[in-house]
Amino acid sequence: MQRRVGVVVAIGLVGGVASKAHAVDVEISNDTTFQAYEVMNPWSTYSLERRRITEQLGFAMYHLQGDYAPGKADYTMRIMLRLDADPGINAHLDDQQAGAETDFAVGLGSRYVPDLAYVDLNLMHAYVEGRNLAKGWLGFKIGRQYMSDVLGWWNFDGGLVRLTTPYFFDLEAYGGLEQRGGLPLSSTRYEQQGVWRGTHADFGGEGTDPRILDYPSYQFAAPAPAFGLAIESNGPNWIHGRFSYRRVYQSGDAILNQFGTPPGGTTSLSGLRVSSDRLGYAANINIFKLGGLKGGFTYDLYSKVFSYGFAGLEAYLGKKVTVGADFDYYEPTFDADSIFNWFSKQPQMTATARVEARPTKKFDLSASGGAKMFFTAGDPDAYFQGQCDATALPGETTNPNCDVGAGLDTAVNAKLRAYGQDPDNNTQEAHVDGVGQLAGRYRVPHGKFELRSMAQVGARGRRVGGDLSAEGTLVGGKWAFGGRVSVYDWHDPTREDRDATSFGYVLAAAWKPLDLSKIGVEWEHDYNALVGQRFRVLASLNVLWIK
Amino acid sequence: MSAKTWPTVLMATAVIAACFIACAMPDAQADNQGTPATAGSAAAPKYKTGLYPVADDAEVPLEWMPPGTGVSPIPSEEIFPPQTISIRFNHKKHVGDFKLSCKVCHAAAYDSEVSSDRLLPKPNETCDNCHDVDHGDLAAVKAGTEENGQCTFCHLGDAAGRNGKVSKVVIPPPNLRMTHKKHLDRNIQCAQCHGQIDKLELATRDQLPRMAGCFSCHAMSGAAQGEAKGQCINCHVTQPSGQMMTTFATGDLMPPDWLHMAGHDADWIERHKTIAANDSKFCANCHKEEDCASCHDGKVRNRKVHPNDWISMHPEAARMNNPRCTSCHQETTFCADCHRRVGVARDGPDGGRGPSDHFHPPRDVWSSSPRGPQHHAWEAEQNINACVACHTERDCASCHAMRGIMGGGGVNPHPVGFDKSCGSAFARNPRPCLVCHERNDPHLGECQ
Repeated sequence: MQRRVGVVVAIGLVGGVASKAHAVDVEISNDTTFQAYEVMNPWSTYSLERRRITEQLGFAMYHLQGDYAPGKADYTMRIMLRLDADPGINAHLDDQQAGAETDFAVGLGSRYVPDLAYVDLNLMHAYVEGRNLAKGWLGFKIGRQYMSDVLGWWNFDGGLVRLTTPYFFDLEAYGGLEQRGGLPLSSTRYEQQGVWRGTHADFGGEGTDPRILDYPSYQFAAPAPAFGLAIESNGPNWIHGRFSYRRVYQSGDAILNQFGTPPGGTTSLSGLRVSSDRLGYAANINIFKLGGLKGGFTYDLYSKVFSYGFAGLEAYLGKKVTVGADFDYYEPTFDADSIFNWFSKQPQMTATARVEARPTKKFDLSASGGAKMFFTAGDPDAYFQGQCDATALPGETTNPNCDVGAGLDTAVNAKLRAYGQDPDNNTQEAHVDGVGQLAGRYRVPHGKFELRSMAQVGARGRRVGGDLSAEGTLVGGKWAFGGRVSVYDWHDPTREDRDATSFGYVLAAAWKPLDLSKIGVEWEHDYNALVGQRFRVLASLNVLWIK
Repeated sequence: MSAKTWPTVLMATAVIAACFIACAMPDAQADNQGTPATAGSAAAPKYKTGLYPVADDAEVPLEWMPPGTGVSPIPSEEIFPPQTISIRFNHKKHVGDFKLSCKVCHAAAYDSEVSSDRLLPKPNETCDNCHDVDHGDLAAVKAGTEENGQCTFCHLGDAAGRNGKVSKVVIPPPNLRMTHKKHLDRNIQCAQCHGQIDKLELATRDQLPRMAGCFSCHAMSGAAQGEAKGQCINCHVTQPSGQMMTTFATGDLMPPDWLHMAGHDADWIERHKTIAANDSKFCANCHKEEDCASCHDGKVRNRKVHPNDWISMHPEAARMNNPRCTSCHQETTFCADCHRRVGVARDGPDGGRGPSDHFHPPRDVWSSSPRGPQHHAWEAEQNINACVACHTERDCASCHAMRGIMGGGGVNPHPVGFDKSCGSAFARNPRPCLVCHERNDPHLGECQ
């Protein structure tokens, strides 16, 4: 696996360590995927033709310092670049509208989608990492890097320093720029939700260019300075906890008025301001003969709400059965630039009980069930009746003209507003869905069968279904085959014309010409009454080279 | 066959084919190893002892087993591949009755620094000292005249020794980093990891250590770790990247339930977030960033998360927020860009939507006053993320911004008591307020 190679440049990158011939592990990976499928709009008037080509190229060098010795300083460099292309963009448009999705000048912008591009190039990560420096006390990471903790899965350009102490805790501090869509080699994936942001490179004042006022909700991409710290336990492996804090700032301008300020201009806000400011803590305790306990939360310091919380308890009943209970709390929060933070919104809570059984080494089964609760500030039926009663004329108990959406006059509207602001009419009401899940695996010598099924039924409607899959290898793993069948049924009480039952299957095959490479194809065929027959083809090439 | 029936036929064919493929595949593992000559299968009936850990293959008392057996009844096949033990041997007799120490036969263990070392006794240096046999030349072993020197006294099978052949004892090296020397140098004796072998007859795979037992010493990580380091890679073999090797001929190595509550059970994909939220470094022992990115920033749909025909059913799943869309998707771009293209999003092209085509219920029901039971406000309160996946700020501001220069309808979307809590948010970032309110709006003054 190892090869003596000169790594002058790499060693220089990690702090000027004297350059000489070293044992460095090099890893090069390439993952190419082609997908073709169609997306029909709800009115069945046309389908988008998705023809997606994704190319992910990775390069890594491990043990840049030379031979690896456990516990000694160790340096790594990793880069991953992704190209995501869709030649199917614009393909569904007729000749008169050719190119209209990406060219504002075609069709007076009627089909234009800002920042939609045939090709996106994203630097997923690119960093140099050092571990076990200063006798194990220090570690660092410089470059574009991921971070995963109770604050979410996140990516930034910058530096991180980690201090490992002998006092059962580690300290981590980092700073840099959050990866933001619209900036070079970047994706929108890691921003907080709620702000439509991207490049305005196509925008301008010229005749056929889109104007800012055409898309006032589309905000400017600008560097987003960020910093954070974490304290993490580091000691007995039956207990672990991590406290995290992170703040991200906005820089640059933000458009304010959504309808223009006469004569045709816009107002904007400039300067550094908070984008997100959150802290969180997560921990688990595990006693291997008994069970485990876990919990965590995220608190949004800008919105002043707990945006996420979870708790779980597991008990190991003998050697083959685990039972437990889980609770999940979620309240949406958004980027501090977003108006969605300040709409009346409520949390969602899910409480489930679970059992997991492993009757044999070949077979295991997990089942869970419980309730998922959505909330409103007031009961919708009672609230509606209350409005009618509140707008009743003197001497009457209710308003006889009070129909849904009737559009009551100004005087009545004042009464409606007063009714809406009365805390007694805004008491929190729960709307409950039952949720359940059943999953199982049965392994055969060179393959497995798998069942995955779910149900959510209740106030929000219904989604019930499952799929059964089988996969296996032949000729010592040289060939792989898979199949999957599924049935799902759904019902949306607000859109009953979109209820349907879907049947689908997938057939897949792969060939491994070399030990670490694979060529695969996959065919998916689905049917439901809404869209009829639907097909999807996927081809992939994965290559990994390690030296 | 009608157009409606052929999908069903194809699906049935797919199921049958998949089942056939999975079931009909040859068991190469068994082929490679041949039929294991386990102690019981070919035992010479003449001898009754040394064939099993305890007589008649009875269950070994837990207190005699290696530490950790209570939670891991059998050793991991990924770490300790299956063995073929084609001899009978009575440890109880040798260690207990004859008072031979472990070192007499397993001296090699005391100097062993790698797990692939062969630690079984060399018969000419050990067995031959007492048994009437000469193993000096293994190609021509000379049995003596005494019964204890005959091949079948120890080697299993009626044909043992015939033509000079005996079945091989096959003990594949474990997929583990392990130095016996280091442990023995620290006075960690055999029984501490292997259990009470002096009370057993035959020692089998079952007498190999369990990870839960290792944790009685290897329980610490970080700079406070002492000598018995608790990091996974201290014992587990690694790839060049430093991550653990998890795929072996005998199966895929997975964490047990009791390790960080991270058992990769059949529903693990729904449950992993709570563990990753707490200790992503634990995950990083086996996973690289791209493993996370393949779903959380994925470009190819993972069917364990989004099953077949997902595009058709995803509106209802999003409405139920199950799974949680924001775990992987940026709603204002990933979701809304597609919704703009197909004409679902209001702020995009009409997408061929006719005048009477609505995604939501009719306007009277959905957005007019007074607020009925199906009004969008109730939907937004329950799951505002579903709104953000299509609607831009302008859509909402058209009603919820203040009247006049702000261009809205003045409909207050804030929760009751909002004006008492908005001050600090306004001070830190006034932008969302100024989308709907003029700077001199008296309502805004309540926040300042």
